[in-house]
Amino acid sequence: MRAPALPLAREGFQAPSVEIFEWPDIVHLEVAGIDLSINRVVVQMFVVGLLVWALFFFAFRKPKLVPSGLQNVMEAFVDFIRNQIVLEVIGRDGLRFMPYLTTLFVFVLFGNLGGVIPPILFPLNGRVALPAVMAICSLLLFISVGISSQGLAYFKNTLFPPGIPWPVYILLTPIEFVSTFIVRPVTLAIRLLANMIAGHLILSVFFVATGYMLTSANISVLFGLGSLVFSVALIAFELFVAGLQAYVFTILSAVYIAGALEPEH
Amino acid sequence: MSDSGPPKEPPGRGGDIVWSIIGTLVAGVLAWGFIGWLLDRWLGTSYLVAVGIIVGMAGAFYLIIKRYGSG
Repeated sequence: MRAPALPLAREGFQAPSVEIFEWPDIVHLEVAGIDLSINRVVVQMFVVGLLVWALFFFAFRKPKLVPSGLQNVMEAFVDFIRNQIVLEVIGRDGLRFMPYLTTLFVFVLFGNLGGVIPPILFPLNGRVALPAVMAICSLLLFISVGISSQGLAYFKNTLFPPGIPWPVYILLTPIEFVSTFIVRPVTLAIRLLANMIAGHLILSVFFVATGYMLTSANISVLFGLGSLVFSVALIAFELFVAGLQAYVFTILSAVYIAGALEPEH
Repeated sequence: MSDSGPPKEPPGRGGDIVWSIIGTLVAGVLAWGFIGWLLDRWLGTSYLVAVGIIVGMAGAFYLIIKRYGSG
């Protein structure tokens, strides 16, 4: 969707809109009718994936008892997930989900940070594909955890909450089904996606507008200075959102796993 | 409360419960709204969507009170 090329619109300021999320294909690739083209976002995804792998690999290749350098930094991530998320939400039982949750957190965080790191300046999770796939991973994981810890009774415990007279199940079971298996992954993905889209749009609008006002030859230059200061503050805010959304995605995945581990009372 | 004992409250507190409540409300409306819509299509009526949405909301409230209510 591009802004219509009206003569009027060409004169004044044009705010960036959703077209800043669309990238041309670098390599056009189609397999059996499925579009597998590689564009900038796909390249960025590979780079971030490789980066996360490399960071953990080189940090813990020869782990030392007294960590230093990279190992120190990566241990901070691991400690944070372990103490603030796994032990808080799931308990000691959840330590076996540490690898998944840590990778998830670091990958989401680095994907988000691309939105504020200068040569990249695009949040990976501003496209729906990645949040959607990660949400599906979390969905499949908590269903498997439920089945492996409770057997098929997991579905009975989830869909038929105890302590309710049986005719009410006709009303509640569809709600429980939708809320557990549909709303959970959808909100997980959309919360991350929407935050990243909004952040990227706001940053783009502010910086484009700042540039426009600073280069105009009238009183707008003063407003441009103000908006420049505000734009820099917004970068700090986006840094915060990048971390916060990675944390929220991870902690909610942990909450869902915890809910699947033991039936409700 | 000792560190090793099982937590008394449901796992996750505060913000997680809020999300769970919102999720339940949305799910109630979606589930029964969808059922109402299907019935509308099947019976050729047009008001069952609204009935479904209200029923779903009521069900969601019941579920939330049952699960998170203090009683």
